[in-house]
Amino acid sequence: MKKGHISNILNKGKVFISLIILVFCILGAVVFFIAKQISEEMSASAIENLSESLELISSTIETVLYKEAEFQQLIADEAATFDDPEKLILSYNQNSTMTKISLIAAGEQTGISNTGDIFTTEELDFSAGFKIQNLQVSKSYLNDMGTWAYTMKCPIKKGKLEIASLYIEYIYDSFDQAMPDKLYNNHATLYIMDAKSKRFLLKPKGIGEREAGHLNLDDFYNANSILEPQIQTDIAEYIENGDNVMFYHKIKNEDSLIYMWSVNDGSLYLIGYVPVTAIQREGSAVNKNIFFVVAIMMIAFFICCSIYFLNNRIQSKIRQEREHEREIYNKQLAEALQTAQIANNSKTTFLSNMSHDIRTPMNAILGFTTLLAKDADNPDKVREYLKKITASGQHLLSLINDILDISKIESGKVALTIGEFTLNDLVTSVDAIIRPAAKAKNQTFFVTVVGIKHEYLIGDETRINQILINLLSNAVKYTPEGGHIWFRIIGLEQHSSQFEHIRIEVEDDGYGMTPEYLSIIFDSFTREENSTTNKIQGTGLGMAITKNIVELMGGTIEVSSKVNVGSLFTVDLELRIQNETVDENFWNTHGIFRILAVDDEEAICKNIQILMEDSGVKVDIAFNGNEALQQIQDVYQQGDQYNVILLDWQMPDMNGIETAKQIRTVISDDIPILFLTAYDWEDIEAEALRAGIDGFFAKPFFVAAFKEKILAFHAGRHIDDIPQQNTHSLEGKTFLVAEDNEINAEILSEILSVEGASCEIAVNGQLVLERFQNAAPGEFDAILMDVQMPVMNGYEATKAIRSLQCEDAKNVPIIAMTANAFAEDIKEALHSGMNAHLSKPIDVAVLKETIQNFL
Amino acid sequence: MQKPLKKIAVLLTIGALTLTACGQKPDITENLADNTKTDKKQILLFGPMEKSAPNASNTARTAHDLTVLMAEERLDLVVEYRTYTAENYQEKTYDEVTLDRARHNMDDLYLLNPDVIHTLGIEGKLADLSSLDCVKNLRDVVKTANTVNGKLVAIPQEVVAYGLFVNKDMFDQYDLQLPETPEEFMECCRVFKENGIETPIGANRWWLETFVFAQAFADLYNGDNTDAEIAALNSGEAKYSDYLRPGFEYLQELIDKEYIDAKTAYTYEAIEGEGPDFMAQKTPIVMAYWGAANTDTAYGSPDFNMQVIGFPSNRGQMPVIPITGYGVSANAEHLEDSMDVLDVILSDEALELYSQTNRVISPSKNVASNCIPALKPLNDRIEEGIYVLASNANLKMEQWGNICLLVRNLLNGSSVDDCMAKLDQLQEESLQN
Repeated sequence: MKKGHISNILNKGKVFISLIILVFCILGAVVFFIAKQISEEMSASAIENLSESLELISSTIETVLYKEAEFQQLIADEAATFDDPEKLILSYNQNSTMTKISLIAAGEQTGISNTGDIFTTEELDFSAGFKIQNLQVSKSYLNDMGTWAYTMKCPIKKGKLEIASLYIEYIYDSFDQAMPDKLYNNHATLYIMDAKSKRFLLKPKGIGEREAGHLNLDDFYNANSILEPQIQTDIAEYIENGDNVMFYHKIKNEDSLIYMWSVNDGSLYLIGYVPVTAIQREGSAVNKNIFFVVAIMMIAFFICCSIYFLNNRIQSKIRQEREHEREIYNKQLAEALQTAQIANNSKTTFLSNMSHDIRTPMNAILGFTTLLAKDADNPDKVREYLKKITASGQHLLSLINDILDISKIESGKVALTIGEFTLNDLVTSVDAIIRPAAKAKNQTFFVTVVGIKHEYLIGDETRINQILINLLSNAVKYTPEGGHIWFRIIGLEQHSSQFEHIRIEVEDDGYGMTPEYLSIIFDSFTREENSTTNKIQGTGLGMAITKNIVELMGGTIEVSSKVNVGSLFTVDLELRIQNETVDENFWNTHGIFRILAVDDEEAICKNIQILMEDSGVKVDIAFNGNEALQQIQDVYQQGDQYNVILLDWQMPDMNGIETAKQIRTVISDDIPILFLTAYDWEDIEAEALRAGIDGFFAKPFFVAAFKEKILAFHAGRHIDDIPQQNTHSLEGKTFLVAEDNEINAEILSEILSVEGASCEIAVNGQLVLERFQNAAPGEFDAILMDVQMPVMNGYEATKAIRSLQCEDAKNVPIIAMTANAFAEDIKEALHSGMNAHLSKPIDVAVLKETIQNFL
Repeated sequence: MQKPLKKIAVLLTIGALTLTACGQKPDITENLADNTKTDKKQILLFGPMEKSAPNASNTARTAHDLTVLMAEERLDLVVEYRTYTAENYQEKTYDEVTLDRARHNMDDLYLLNPDVIHTLGIEGKLADLSSLDCVKNLRDVVKTANTVNGKLVAIPQEVVAYGLFVNKDMFDQYDLQLPETPEEFMECCRVFKENGIETPIGANRWWLETFVFAQAFADLYNGDNTDAEIAALNSGEAKYSDYLRPGFEYLQELIDKEYIDAKTAYTYEAIEGEGPDFMAQKTPIVMAYWGAANTDTAYGSPDFNMQVIGFPSNRGQMPVIPITGYGVSANAEHLEDSMDVLDVILSDEALELYSQTNRVISPSKNVASNCIPALKPLNDRIEEGIYVLASNANLKMEQWGNICLLVRNLLNGSSVDDCMAKLDQLQEESLQN
């Protein structure tokens, strides 16, 4: 279709161009024809003008000759009246026209001139037979003045008797005044030629150029390259006949018109040439103007065409752009429609998933509740059912949390809570959660930290924790019993000195994933489903949440997996480094200048060295027990000693306990030996203590953890004494509870009752406010405030209580207990004057701990 | 884009209307005749002009024209040319016509040959040019040669030096050295003749006298007794015939040995006659003036190695210098304007232009000579101060024209003794004047 359209346009273009060419051809032909016509007409006119000019000059010369002849006749007539005509002759003076007047009496050979000289006709040649007014004219000759002259002979008659002849010499110079000053603006040359001798007699002043070709006709031919014999023969014939001649010839490479114009029946000739351009100036000017106008018209036409084509092009471009935009819009609309359909499908899928995922635990809860009612008298069954109900409830809770999380993330409402944290705490907390789970499935959980330069970082610890828990819990979930899980934190090359570039790797040798699933793993509500994993509970939102959080932090997450081989999740993050104030004094204060790290894994040893780099403490490393012993002895012999020895438990040849025993034989008891191990040390604790180990801390090594151990060691207590569990007893406490939901109120009332506390329930904020106003000071130890309540919500109620004038209104702990569990809910709660925020459902332990913190 | 098109259309319409509005009907009260008077003075200059070959350029005339144009522009006048050239030897010569025209006051300015300068100077037909500004720049030799009866009557635009134009290739072909003395020259002619060169010397009816001058006056002008010898000639104590006889006899010998074809030489016009054979390398030797080596109308572009040397003399190669010049008719219609024209065309600026164009020896001592390589041998002699004057107004008897006629007589069959007798007669007449 498009091809056909283009072809159509091309054809139209060709037709259009052909039409233009045709129009121009016709126009050109017409202009050429007109120009040629004009040129020919002008040329004819110019030749006519030239002929007229030459005719005029010829006539002028002839007139002069006639007048001279008439005048000579008059003198002759007058002389005839004289008895002695010579007296008359002698009375004439020479003038500019008649240079000599002579008379020869009839029958005499000599006569006399007006100058008094003897005159003869020896040098005069009348043989040519030219006459003027019947007077004979001699051939032209060079007279004694050095100029060309001619003589006319006139008989002097008395009656019919010729008594003498009158000879008068005229010079050609006298014609000069009768000649035009300019001929064709001095472009034309003009000579007077004697037809008999072919000598050039006169070039009028102002006519012609200062060039050669002046001498005679041959000279003229040579000078002007008129060398064709035929032309010269023809011209000779014309001159012989006294005819006029005019023809075109190139003179000095210029088209010229050569003219030879007969004067006095061909006795004299006007000869010269004029360049054609000089006589056709008008024609040339007209043609030039025509061409100029045509050129202007053509230029104008081309400009118009250009503008037209430009306009067309622009319009076409605009049209194309619009079409392109329309295509984009259509595409976007189609995509939007598709997206909407997908969203609709997603919504359907979501509802279907939700229905399934919520109904499943709900079914369990309700089912076991039914069973509970039936077996209420059987404590064992009751406990079992309660345990399952609790598990289902927790699953339901996690499902709700995830749904809320993903909902917030996708709506862009998630805000990171940036704060300072240490990698030690992060790893410890994750380890504390995952390790038991892994252990429960008999899996081996490896934690490795390598290449990290800074462990004091800034970021959203909770969200990072969430990422790690998601990835690791999945690894535990989707790895069969006895499998392995590797958790690695790797320090990458920093892009900026202010950021620690870390890579988190979570690897397992579990079920793995199919390539198809890998492509949608980060989509919501997706779970790898097969006969093995179908039994595993999950919301299908964890990875979507994880990916969104990672990207929110400016990081990347990648996954590679192979079915039945395992999976590897890689998260790259850049976390700002805390402005650490290197507490060099800590190590000095505690007398630690040199330590020895013993581990068979070189990476771990190097990691310790890197992390301790800024501490000022020298870190030596050894890769087995013997090497450690040797180094300790060497250092001792050098007069130095290690202040702390970090010892791995599992080492080849000699394990940590044996090594510790050996070391203790060479060092004093006040030098702490700490076990650095990835294993649960409870099993070996007693044996280790006996071997001289002063304490344990879990791999990976962190400076913060190390410092804590040192502090504990110097505090004089056993560094691994487990702190006494705070019991957070609520015994005897009285609470004012704002809760509009009767069941929740009852549950809370019962829980508090179980803990030995009492409570008073108010069903909305207003009632809580009023009750607190009426209460005696100290009557309530704290207020547990629901948020969403009728009449007055929890925030308003808190603000109102805080604004009361009573003594303890400002101090009474108000703790939010609400299903509004988002960060902004927590902020708003604190902003309204509450002291803490607890999200429902109530975790009794958390409740007790929180309340205890404010009592 | 519709708007710009409309704008263009509107602009074009307005333009067309404006053009239409500009068209006016002729005013019937307006006098269309051009009454502007062209009253520029016209100075008539009479000078020679050789018959032309098509497409040939005459650098001498070009150079002269350039200076005339300079005068026309500066003086706001027109210099009109009048010219004459004899068709054949039977017609009046240029010099004869010049004398006629000058005697009848036909023109204002004349380009004159040395003998005509002398004749007209003595007749008082030429105005005294001593007062012109350009005179103070002239070389002494120019002033000396053209001062007649105490009046400087003519000044040239170039110092015309005559020399022998030789085909060096032909000399080399026959292993000949360029001749220094008359004897060496004669020997060269013999060798050429024996080798089939029919006429070793190409001659015309005008310039053979240069051989005579070179031999006659080599000692007079290049010796230590110049003034005394001139005085002796002017007083009649010494005879021209004594000086000139060896040269005439030498010419006679060249004629007798047919190294010169006397008959054709007698009829040949300068360059027209002998030139074609020289350029065609049929003749190895011709004589001509300096400028002939520079112009295509003469010997400007030979196909061989041409050298210009002095004439043979007992003092070696001898340049012969007849001083020509421009003269103003004493009765010129435009005497003052003609003097102004001369002052312009003979100024150092004009002569510099002339010399650069024509590459000649300038009459001004302030303008360096500019010669082509072919002219170097001749120029070297002149630079050494070795040359012979072929015209000298200090000598009472005119030489350039008279000797020319005598040589022509010799060519026409007169004996050397006849020529010498005529010479003595001429000297006698000059002494009587």
